[in-house]
Amino acid sequence: MKTHTIQLLKRPWYEWVLWAIWLLVELFVLQNAIASGAELEPRAASIFWMTFVVLLLGGGIVWFLRRARLTK
Amino acid sequence: MERYNERYLPEDERGSVRGPGFAGYVGKEQADALVAEGNAKLKQRILDNVDGYTLKDNALKDAQSAHSLGYSFLGFQKAKTPEERGVPKWTGTPEEAARMLRTAARHLGAATIGFVELDDNTRKLVYSVDPDGHQIEFTDDPVASETETHRYIPNSCRWVIVYTVQMSEEAMKRSPTMTASQTTTGAYSRGTQINAGLQDFLRALGYQCLGESSLNALAIAPAFGVLAGLGEMSRLNRMITPEFGPMVRVFKLITDLPLATDKPIDAGIMEFCRHCKKCAEACPSGALSFENEPFWDIKGGWNNAGHKAWFEDAVKCRTYWVQEAATNCGICFGVCPFSKKDKAWIHEWVKAGTSAAPFLASFFRSMDDAFGYGVQKSGEDWWNTDQPEMGIDSTVVVKG
Repeated sequence: MKTHTIQLLKRPWYEWVLWAIWLLVELFVLQNAIASGAELEPRAASIFWMTFVVLLLGGGIVWFLRRARLTK
Repeated sequence: MERYNERYLPEDERGSVRGPGFAGYVGKEQADALVAEGNAKLKQRILDNVDGYTLKDNALKDAQSAHSLGYSFLGFQKAKTPEERGVPKWTGTPEEAARMLRTAARHLGAATIGFVELDDNTRKLVYSVDPDGHQIEFTDDPVASETETHRYIPNSCRWVIVYTVQMSEEAMKRSPTMTASQTTTGAYSRGTQINAGLQDFLRALGYQCLGESSLNALAIAPAFGVLAGLGEMSRLNRMITPEFGPMVRVFKLITDLPLATDKPIDAGIMEFCRHCKKCAEACPSGALSFENEPFWDIKGGWNNAGHKAWFEDAVKCRTYWVQEAATNCGICFGVCPFSKKDKAWIHEWVKAGTSAAPFLASFFRSMDDAFGYGVQKSGEDWWNTDQPEMGIDSTVVVKG
């Protein structure tokens, strides 16, 4: 009879804390981006939108890189 | 500190630059020439459709003063007194009275409201001479009165009601144009309505309420505002509030209704001003001080000695008003980092940081520049924005 070993690689708890912080920062930046538009402050809105997008892309890349490592 | 004569008195070269004061300080001939130059520029700007100075901007400015109720020391006395109704006057604790007045004032249009007791010290902040030349005196007579030369405040009137009226931050970002100036006029006009309303409200409750007989009359508004905990003094030598920054006008009334008083606050505003200096850099007339610390020495008879402040050169400021801007300028208000709409969460965080970590002031000032706050906006664009009622945010609820 053949035996198979299934190895589960879970993200450590502190990584989830870091992702939670990332999410909160993203929400904060998003709120400021939208509200700056409502405040008619175009430069502030642009900076916040750029920050939001950079953080989003950065987070996405890190997520997929980490997932790739965990599923190897 | 001595009581201040708000009206310029040539014999002691002291008093406000408002009214006859400007001519007093620069000479009548020079004042007339400057005013004529400013008026000519204003006319040419209207003809040239200069941004923020078009005919519609000027028309709105005039419209803002058209809804002013005017001023009265004794009030317009339209409300029925309890005596006239055949009922006893309102009674309650000073705390209940303060709570009631706060609610009434807010409902009448005030942004924030506080109370100060008149004692030997705070009486020094009541003008000795009103802008119209009337002498203000305290009297044992229990009923307030005024003659052609005097206004009498009963010694029983020991409580000062101080309140702010919001200006439109979005309009003020167009300083020094007429688009910005109209919101100042609008705030003063609303102030007259609140003044009259509170005077008659207190009359109807059975109490006296003494108001400003003209624009900025009766007492030194920023001083009472600070004592009432509505804000802090600043590099503008004006009061800045935590809620609305400098985007307010300050009004005061004196009553014999006992009120629970408020205490001054420390929101880190004055500390921030030590480092920021954005207003002084932006001031086209160079009227604002660059000194790091507030100082005792006054710049001229338009300042009241006896307290530390960043005293301004009001003659330089006024000269720019009449000769160049042809408005009441307001650039220092528009560029102030505390002038924000407070929709974005970041502003509350910065305010909290300003209060808790004053060493971050220079960093916050740099960020304010980097994010483009305080940059002068187009007057013409303003006409195409969707503004809230009166251009202000009346949803801000200030507890107290």
